[in-house]
Amino acid sequence: MIDPLVIFDLLLALGIVALAVAALATRESFAMIVVFIVFGLVSALAWVRLSAPDVALAEAAIGTGVTGALLLKTLHHLRCATGQPGQNATQAQISAPPVPVGVTLANAAFCGLITLGLAVAFLGAPAAGPGFEGLVAQAMPQSGVEHPVTAVLLNFRAYDTLMEVVVLLAAVIAVWQIERGLSDAPAPVMGEVWQGFARLALPAIVVVGTYLLWVGAEAPGGAFQGGAVLAAVGLLLLLTRAYVPQPAHRGIARGAFVLGTAAFALVALLVASGGRVAFEYPLAHAKTLILLIEGMVTLSIAVTLAALFHGREPMALKHEGKDDT
Amino acid sequence: MTPDMIYGAAGIAVFGIGLVGALCAQDRLRRVLALKLCSVGAGFLLLVGAWREPPGTPDPVPHALVITGIVVMVSATAVALALIRRLHSLEAEDER
Amino acid sequence: MSVDLSPVMLSIFLPLFGAIVAFMLPRAAGAIGLATLALTTGAVIALARDVLINGAAILPLGGWGAPLGIDLRADGLSVAMLGLSCAVGLLVSLSALSSLRGPEDARQRQYFWPLWLLLLTGMNGVYLSTDIFNLYVMIEVIALAAVGLTVLSGTTAAVRAGLEYMYASILGALLFLMGVGFIYLQLGRLDFAGLAEAEPTGALIAAIALMFVGLALKTALFPLHFWLPAAHANASAPASALLSGLVVKAALYIVLRLAQHMPFPSETFLTLVGVMGAGAVIWGSIQALRAERLKLLVAWSTVAQIGLIFVAFARAGEQGLSESWKAAALLILAHGVAKAAMFLAAGRIKDEIGHDVIRDLDRAPIRPTLAQFTFALAAISLIGLPPSLGFIGKWALMEGAMAAGYWHWVGVTMAGTLLSVAYFSRVFAGFLRFDRVRAPVGEHQGWALADAAPLTLAMMAIALGLMAAPLLGFLEIGYALGEAK
Repeated sequence: MIDPLVIFDLLLALGIVALAVAALATRESFAMIVVFIVFGLVSALAWVRLSAPDVALAEAAIGTGVTGALLLKTLHHLRCATGQPGQNATQAQISAPPVPVGVTLANAAFCGLITLGLAVAFLGAPAAGPGFEGLVAQAMPQSGVEHPVTAVLLNFRAYDTLMEVVVLLAAVIAVWQIERGLSDAPAPVMGEVWQGFARLALPAIVVVGTYLLWVGAEAPGGAFQGGAVLAAVGLLLLLTRAYVPQPAHRGIARGAFVLGTAAFALVALLVASGGRVAFEYPLAHAKTLILLIEGMVTLSIAVTLAALFHGREPMALKHEGKDDT
Repeated sequence: MTPDMIYGAAGIAVFGIGLVGALCAQDRLRRVLALKLCSVGAGFLLLVGAWREPPGTPDPVPHALVITGIVVMVSATAVALALIRRLHSLEAEDER
Repeated sequence: MSVDLSPVMLSIFLPLFGAIVAFMLPRAAGAIGLATLALTTGAVIALARDVLINGAAILPLGGWGAPLGIDLRADGLSVAMLGLSCAVGLLVSLSALSSLRGPEDARQRQYFWPLWLLLLTGMNGVYLSTDIFNLYVMIEVIALAAVGLTVLSGTTAAVRAGLEYMYASILGALLFLMGVGFIYLQLGRLDFAGLAEAEPTGALIAAIALMFVGLALKTALFPLHFWLPAAHANASAPASALLSGLVVKAALYIVLRLAQHMPFPSETFLTLVGVMGAGAVIWGSIQALRAERLKLLVAWSTVAQIGLIFVAFARAGEQGLSESWKAAALLILAHGVAKAAMFLAAGRIKDEIGHDVIRDLDRAPIRPTLAQFTFALAAISLIGLPPSLGFIGKWALMEGAMAAGYWHWVGVTMAGTLLSVAYFSRVFAGFLRFDRVRAPVGEHQGWALADAAPLTLAMMAIALGLMAAPLLGFLEIGYALGEAK
């Protein structure tokens, strides 16, 4: 007798692979992005099956939600800039000469070989091999929080998390730099693209938000997921033009971008006294400090993601900018 | 057959599909999307490594790593897309 | 309450705070950037002193200690790399202050400093890290900041090159991440010490291959170099100097570290690395011979020199690996200093003459003599003439290869040297011939204050060769993991 869950897993896995192929094979760009969003949500479901609800949430909210929104915005921009709304504007790239079919096939065959090699290596690796769970369980009482993933993110491997926030900061600075002085950008209007996205995203936002509220009671975590949900609110504010970024808000925006990084780094440095090293929170204050960092980081992530979606720095000649949730 | 085997194979397949797309796709947006597929594939691999037979609880460290990876990937995607938008505008100007 | 600020922390956190402040106060960004660089250099000097006296320093962040937490570790090689990024960084910063001075550069200036300081944060983080996932995050910090710097000039060519660079960077990082996944699957830990005891199983070989290809893509090893020439040639001069002198070295450094800690799969693999390096030497040199523009020539020579570093790495096969890293490290340091000097000098020549078409260099009525002299000095180190550091590096390479009887690597090195003489001569010919000048060569005095920084760098590249023995001794401090306190 086969476990029905195994059949479910098999179908889900097949579906994921099929959606990945479909996303790349779809000719029309808009459909491609929609298939990708479905792929992301189904992958998140698979990650729930792998007992990783935190990751599934982050993937649904950030990996799929925000990425999908960014892709749709870019598509909208490409179509408007070419002046053929509705046409497949991204095909109109002139630069690259066509690559011979033979090269493409050789590349594909090469990738196939690599994938095969990786699959063999994967099957040869020990299943459920050694891990960190013993160490984590041992250290949990000293971490100041109850949720293991939060403990890893904000205590055991807090340095990684700080640098991840730095990556986000680097991204927003780079995006402002890249899009500086970008003129005659199309005003985002609620066209077919946006409505399509809103229909897909809104229920997801509501579900994610509710889940986060519920999980917040027992697991003080989800700075990234929470930040993404707040960012979604910011996105909708920007899209519906309920908030139009002004040049005068740039200072606040800059402050909001760096807030998480600065607070995190300052706390990490300042706790290093009396024989402690950097990132070593005194046990009595660990929970407070982690909550403080999480709060600041959540705010920064929300504003940064919304700004990444908006793109340009608000300049004096034009409106636009980002949102200060 | 356990979920880790099934999803591990799926993850590697998704990584491979993304790799093909990243190397072969002509369309700029499609290449970004292909790279995102690669990152989902890598996420699968880490989560599969963290998975334990049901009574056991999964290893939280890879979970944290994948969350970090997701945030890093969205940052890189945002920069790549900003470059695509900028390049598109510049090319449109050059043509005129 | 007094806060213990270890120089290890400061060399990562000072640039980070500098970037934050420079981003918040764009008008004062230049001053903040320079002050940050000076302070960071101070921290690295303090760290070097520490390492010289006490041996390798370890900082277990959060007090957890590896494998649960992340350790930072500073040994001779780490500190030498930190020293490279700070010394080159400080001089490039000085040069950037003068080259990004005009009112039309205001926006470039405003973004240059925060991006560059974040880049420094990422690089210093790589040099101190002992955790492979942390390395992944760090190379992404570097990638985003580096792409931002590549497209700083905002031209179509630069943005197109930046996008190619971004694709290559993301793919490289994801291959690396996949390798991290396989290592976790096999070993269940991510710190260097945990890798050291591992047996080479299938999953680990897959991990090594993935990580190596990812890093080769990031450091532009032939045939994965396709993104580099356009990116480095089209960036503005200070950005090119940082990208070519420093950024590619971070991935190279990770290769050295992985080779130190991971079980090496086989002799065949190492030979393959050497063959790729040899391919880079030949192909990069041929392209440099054909390049029409000065900056493109310099960028292609980077491809060739990176290849040479991989040849140095593979020079004596598996047995020689415990010594080969030193030759590679010397070449990394030599190339970092000399290439930064050369890109800055090329930028100065372009600024003065108004173009950088090699064929027309000798027709210019203006002679930026000091910049040309700087270029020549940097070329001496890159070609490998004594007494430069480049010479010492090539010497170490060939000595090891001869001792192991690997004459083919000696041949490749010689061929690369001859080719580099050939392509740099194309530039020198333009510097020295006066007969085609139509306008009077006059008013221009031939030097400017802006030449000071590149000249200092070029002289460093030569002078470091004289200090090679103490430098080699320093590199070896604390290299073996066990020696740490």
